[in-house]
Amino acid sequence: MDAWILLPVFLPVLAGVILLVSLAFEKRKNEREQPDKEPDEAQLQSLHRFVAAVLAVSAVLALAAAFTGEHSVTLFELLKGIPVYFHVDDISRLFAVVISVIWLVVAFYSFVYMKHEGKEQRFYGFYLIVYGVLMALSFAGNLVTMYLFYEIMTLTSMPLVLHNGSREAIMAALKYLFYSMCGAYLGLFGIFFLYKYCDTLTFTAGGTLNLELAQGNTWILLIAVFGMLVGFGAKAGMLPLHAWLPAAHPVAPSPASAVLSGVIAKAGVLAIIRVVFYVVGPDFLRGTWVQTAWMTLTLLTVFMGSMMAFREPVFKKRLAYSTVSQVSYILFGLSVLSPVGMTGALLHVVFHMVIKCALFLTAGIFIFQCGETRVEQFRGIGKQMPKTLWCYTFASLALIGIPPTSGFVSKWYLAQGALEAGVGVFGIVGPAVLLVSALLTAGYLLPITTSGFFPGGIVKHLGIEEKHRTDAAEEVSVRQSGQEDNSATQVDAGRAAGQDAAETAKAGKVTKGGAVESDAKAPSLEPVPEMLIPLVILAALAVLLGLFPNPLIGFAGKIAGSVL
Amino acid sequence: MNLANLANNYEEAVAMLLFVIGFSNLLLQKNLIRKIIGLNIMDTAVYLFLALKGYIEGRKAPIVVDGVQSMEAYVNPIPSGLVLTGIVVSVSVSALMLALTIRLYRRYHTLDLDEITTRLKKEGL
Amino acid sequence: MEFVQNFPFFSILLSLFSGPLCSVIGGKAARRVNLAVITAVGAMSAAVLNFTIRSGEAYVYLMGHFPAPWGNEIRVGVLEALMALFFCVVMFLSMIGGSLERALEIEEGKENLYYVMVNLLLSSLLALIYTNDLFTAYVFVEINTISACGLIMIRQNGRTIEAATRYMIMSLLGSGLLLLGICFLYDMTGHLLMSNIKEQVQILHATGDYHIPLLVTVSLMSVGIAIKSALYPFHAWLPDAYGYSTLSSAAILSSLVSKGYIFLLVKIFYRVIGFDIVRDSKIVNVLFAFGVVGMIMGSVSAIKEGNVRRMIAYSSVAQIGYIYMGFGIGTTAGVIASLYHILSHAATKSLLFVAASGLTDASGDSTSFFDLTGAGYRNKLAGVAFTVGSLSMVGFPMFSGFISKLLFAQAAVDSAYYKMLPALIALALSTILNAVYFMKTVIRIYTPADREEVKRRGFRNVTVTDQKAKSVALVCFIALNLALGLSSEPVVRLLREGLNLFA
Repeated sequence: MDAWILLPVFLPVLAGVILLVSLAFEKRKNEREQPDKEPDEAQLQSLHRFVAAVLAVSAVLALAAAFTGEHSVTLFELLKGIPVYFHVDDISRLFAVVISVIWLVVAFYSFVYMKHEGKEQRFYGFYLIVYGVLMALSFAGNLVTMYLFYEIMTLTSMPLVLHNGSREAIMAALKYLFYSMCGAYLGLFGIFFLYKYCDTLTFTAGGTLNLELAQGNTWILLIAVFGMLVGFGAKAGMLPLHAWLPAAHPVAPSPASAVLSGVIAKAGVLAIIRVVFYVVGPDFLRGTWVQTAWMTLTLLTVFMGSMMAFREPVFKKRLAYSTVSQVSYILFGLSVLSPVGMTGALLHVVFHMVIKCALFLTAGIFIFQCGETRVEQFRGIGKQMPKTLWCYTFASLALIGIPPTSGFVSKWYLAQGALEAGVGVFGIVGPAVLLVSALLTAGYLLPITTSGFFPGGIVKHLGIEEKHRTDAAEEVSVRQSGQEDNSATQVDAGRAAGQDAAETAKAGKVTKGGAVESDAKAPSLEPVPEMLIPLVILAALAVLLGLFPNPLIGFAGKIAGSVL
Repeated sequence: MNLANLANNYEEAVAMLLFVIGFSNLLLQKNLIRKIIGLNIMDTAVYLFLALKGYIEGRKAPIVVDGVQSMEAYVNPIPSGLVLTGIVVSVSVSALMLALTIRLYRRYHTLDLDEITTRLKKEGL
Repeated sequence: MEFVQNFPFFSILLSLFSGPLCSVIGGKAARRVNLAVITAVGAMSAAVLNFTIRSGEAYVYLMGHFPAPWGNEIRVGVLEALMALFFCVVMFLSMIGGSLERALEIEEGKENLYYVMVNLLLSSLLALIYTNDLFTAYVFVEINTISACGLIMIRQNGRTIEAATRYMIMSLLGSGLLLLGICFLYDMTGHLLMSNIKEQVQILHATGDYHIPLLVTVSLMSVGIAIKSALYPFHAWLPDAYGYSTLSSAAILSSLVSKGYIFLLVKIFYRVIGFDIVRDSKIVNVLFAFGVVGMIMGSVSAIKEGNVRRMIAYSSVAQIGYIYMGFGIGTTAGVIASLYHILSHAATKSLLFVAASGLTDASGDSTSFFDLTGAGYRNKLAGVAFTVGSLSMVGFPMFSGFISKLLFAQAAVDSAYYKMLPALIALALSTILNAVYFMKTVIRIYTPADREEVKRRGFRNVTVTDQKAKSVALVCFIALNLALGLSSEPVVRLLREGLNLFA
């Protein structure tokens, strides 16, 4: 029996549901006894231990499922001939492993970070559920099962977006829901057609399209497939359904933004991979208008995303636009339908997951430690949190694609794939756009490093530091009341952790302009190790994967070879 | 379809004509009372049709008075039964319609349904 | 003959005679009698369902001593028992869900009359489901109409009386056509029992005699029932009737009454005429066209509507369109999709009505769209339930609406181009339109309201314990929806088997 491979799906979902249900009960109890009771430290500790344990066990199970050969299990029949069916293949392996690692790392980071946002139990409840759903999505063995969990993922990840409950967050979450659902329905209608013209909806490398049946009906199938590309592309932030992404990712708490941008956007990529390479078959699309349109859309998205990121002053929004652009790199790699391009795309899936998570975690640290969100406020920040900024710098270099970091490897393959795929003018335009976008990437990521480490001459340093603090203080004072509560929680958190660094941070922040300690040395704002270590791990991964990419390239190449 | 055919089945033709008259009255008349009259004409047309179908020329009603005769002596009794049932139904429906009409008239002092609707919209209820 | 085979007859009689009983006892007692009757009928239907599944065939039950072709008959198969059971469940939940509103909105001393109507409605629905005699069907169609009219006008205001009048007029037009069709059939075949008519119709069809009268008959009956079940454009009475009547009436009317007629239409198609003849008659194409137009226009009207109850009512117009579209596809798969949609829509629409009333309770009883701002926070369960209902309507996986969309689409892609394309395009369009107005409402109820405004208007928070009955109904409806959405396969199998036994 292979049913145990569903354990990494059901265990976290069950644990998440338990957390949410017990939360509801506690709330009612508290309402009766002490209405405004905050969860105490011991409770939080045990909550963290529970979450960590569940995630670790599930991740181990997921890895076990991924690395012990082929498994498949049929859960039940949704409709006649449409079972809910799970099957572990190479793509599942790739996604399951990377997602598990990222999910675990980000969880440790969020244990500290979420003290600042509050409502931890609800957050972790949904965090666990989404993990389970993502595992189910990775292991899904046919199109309908995948669609099912794709929609559930949308619904369960929505609470992560609207976590802080502000009006802006709720609007963004609903925008997210609306775009995702519209996209998913486009996909669904494609599934209806594929159901008719395919031998089976079970994922098979190379596609299952019945060419005899499709004869004469290719035009309608092409429209259907194009609808699916656009629809599932919504999750991946591809034009024209990308507008939700820059709205939804930044308003979420930083760990949630990290997994939304890093992982959940990739679910759209996974869906497109499954549709194009495992159901429709790349041969059917090669040379058609759909491929041309798809390539055009991805390149436009790459360029547009980079431009928007370049112009965006709010750090997390900038990162979100960067996601729009970078995920379309992946889609472009897929759209050229060549083995090398696909290898590059799969590599970029992994690398971008790691890098974008690292970047969002950095953004989270900036917010957590200084409460600042705008790029121009980060001047000179490198003096105060050098380790963080170094991690950020390495991750940025990787995203730009400077050798020997990981991004270089994937982009090399993407460009190679485009050049050799024989897609006419796109073979030249594609790499050119990628290159321009890489320059823009450097343009929007590196200034933070440069102005962070070199704010403009040592002489001026103190003065600028002073001004920067004033800004920070103003920023704090103008922020809404809810967030001020949060900064108080943050102070508590620092004290609880007993970290001198955090104490100083508090001193540096809450004192108004003139009353700053007149130390010549800028106070250290470095975060507590629990936050820093996940960041370091991710940044190190971003570099190391570039130094030793061969096993991964081999694996991605194997997948690409099996479907093309 | 020729005229001779129509002339031979003139009873059915009349029934259909009546049905159409009743139907269009029920549908098109503005006055509620006229609508109800239309309803009754429509139902009557159907009963006429049914009764025609049950009647067989030269036979008697199936009421046994002087010993049972052979089956060929009587007309088909089922349509008569259907007509009776139908009349009961149509009476109750007409009664309900009339009751509704009275309610509406008491409230709005008009029998024009469209006018009532416009007034309701004005009230913004 | 086993004892359980008597149950369909018993359940019709029980609900029929409990009607007069309710008219002489007090309101509270009538309420208990009513709930007990629905429960008993539900239990009996479950037993019958179990029996028919085990025996695997339909059986005929003689009413009185005359065998066919003279006597009156009941015919029971899997599909009939399933429908009866489901109708009972939905009716029960709607009744307990709306008990609070009934206490407020029905005039003092008239409560028992309401239960008379509900019991009669139940008996007429059961009779429509079970009977094998066309004229009996007609009589119970009229009883159904009258009791539905009573349900609408029990809450006395101008709107409901006007709506009841319009409903009566439309219904009478429809039943006139139906009756005429039945008379034509009787004229041509000499029978009133469905199975006997079918034999004769098959012979007529084979010989080619009476081709045009047969076509006219099928059209008359289809159009008559379409009018009665509020297929677009015969829906003018519907928004007012559902929008202003008391809650349990709206829920029952939208989920059951029109479905009873539609079930009768399925019966006429399969058991009286024969579905292949109906398909050849091209009348299905007309139904298809009206269904498709209804799907779109119903949603468009719903988008324009500012009153949330009326919005849900307009959405019913669209959903009826779906059902007729399924018939119109003209394949058994299409009919199964429609039958499943009858179940799914009944479960979802009554959920939405009850949930919407929970939300309006928390918004000072205003049904205006804008007053619902933030109502999802003031009444949490109703908010969740409304969201579930909306997601189901929009066709979100896990909920029943998704399965019916899936079935419709499956049926559509297997048909000819000239039907597949309009059907799929209409499905896609109407899904998106549904998403527009339902998601708009979900967004509205979860948009935080202005605190001052809430305080000024005196909106109160409604907790689960405030409205126990309604909460129970909501939870059960949600569970029903999830059950239909997640384990649809057994239900669809039953529908398929039932339809096979049906002919």
